[in-house]
Amino acid sequence: MSQRPTRHEKAFLRKGAEMAVPATRARVWSLLGVGLALNLSPWADDLRWLVPDFALMSLLYWGIHAPRWAGLGTACALGLVVDVARGLHLGLNALAYCTAAFVVLMLQRRLENFDVSRQGLQLAPLLLGKEALVLVLGLMFAHGEVDWRWLASGAMAALLWVPMAWLLDRLTGRPIATPGE
Amino acid sequence: MPRAPHAPLFVRGMGLPARFGLYVLFCLVIAAIDTRYAALQVVHDGLNAALHPLRILLAMPWDWAREAGGFFTTHADLQNENARLRQERERLMAYNQDRHALAAENTQLRALLALAPRPGVNGLTAEILQVSADPFNRKVIIDRGRAQGVVAGSPVVDGNGLVGQVTRVFPYSAEVSLLTDREQGAPVQNLRNGLRLIVSGTGADNLLEIRFLDMHADVKAGDWLYTSGIDGVYPAGIPVAQVVSTEPPRHTPFAKALCRPIGGVGRYRHVQVLNQMAVTMDATDGKKRP
Repeated sequence: MSQRPTRHEKAFLRKGAEMAVPATRARVWSLLGVGLALNLSPWADDLRWLVPDFALMSLLYWGIHAPRWAGLGTACALGLVVDVARGLHLGLNALAYCTAAFVVLMLQRRLENFDVSRQGLQLAPLLLGKEALVLVLGLMFAHGEVDWRWLASGAMAALLWVPMAWLLDRLTGRPIATPGE
Repeated sequence: MPRAPHAPLFVRGMGLPARFGLYVLFCLVIAAIDTRYAALQVVHDGLNAALHPLRILLAMPWDWAREAGGFFTTHADLQNENARLRQERERLMAYNQDRHALAAENTQLRALLALAPRPGVNGLTAEILQVSADPFNRKVIIDRGRAQGVVAGSPVVDGNGLVGQVTRVFPYSAEVSLLTDREQGAPVQNLRNGLRLIVSGTGADNLLEIRFLDMHADVKAGDWLYTSGIDGVYPAGIPVAQVVSTEPPRHTPFAKALCRPIGGVGRYRHVQVLNQMAVTMDATDGKKRP
């Protein structure tokens, strides 16, 4: 009789799958690789400024769910690769990625417990701010002119965060977080 | 056990803000170095070389998609493109012909430019505006007239030789009778032996003749005929024609010689009108004589 959980006890148990697939280093890196590959894909030139920074999005995702593997060092390395791939001065994206990762790590405990749409809402300023930071840094380091349209990619990233995080949550078997629980 | 490295229970390493500060410093330093100096070019080169296969790999699906799209191009598209290309080809061919015409005209203009100025004569370059549509006369209209100082009777030459004579002058244009006009004649001299002759047009396009040639006159095929200058109209020494053949007299007491004009009669678009400058010459001559 006493083996069955009471109604009060039940509320503390998670619904759905018991545990998410553990985030291993390989999983983290492969997702970052996919994000980087999406970044490097030959998008049409007229749409290039709309394409969100997938590498940053995957970095932030792991920053929330596996901060052990997606820390400042990873962010910096990834940023350097993106810098080279985009032909920018070394360090611009690295600095922006570090900053974004830092903010996410600071807020990690809070973000972890929100569902994807609320995460998206909180990450939107971060994703937008990263693009702005790159543009401003580019201006600082003597890139003559700046195409401010690229800020749109930050907005796009904020919009795409919800479906992307939702998909990754399903892939890793993370339970659907119900708000207010 | 601490759940995450960012908030350890016992502080062992640097805190997250401190590490962040170091990373920021690092990034700013390499950004500055990369901006000011070429030292990090090696890093760029190396990483780009490493990314190159990845880029090619990533471009592949897009290429495949494009090829697959191209494979299903509709028949109408192909037809449209074919028509467009055909039109383009026509246009280019016309353009090319134009180019040849321009090149030829340029050559002829250069020849005109190279004409040595003759004493007492000033040359006025003119363009042929139209050819009179008259089957009996060989005449052209040039774009210089009285306003430019063209007077009736002036000889008209091109880079090779005599072309004709101005027969009528209008305010801004003039009519030139070509050498091949039946009514037209020019006094010439055989370059070989100095024999004076008169060459006339036949009305045919590329044929002149010497009528009423003495039976024993020394004219042979291949002789060059230049203007003699004795008529006071044509200056001496302008190439006019080359004898093609001679005909012995048959029903008349006179022989006949057929000649080919040397100047581009009815061929080119630019000619030179030679105006006499007689007045000033006479004045100086009059002063010197006594």
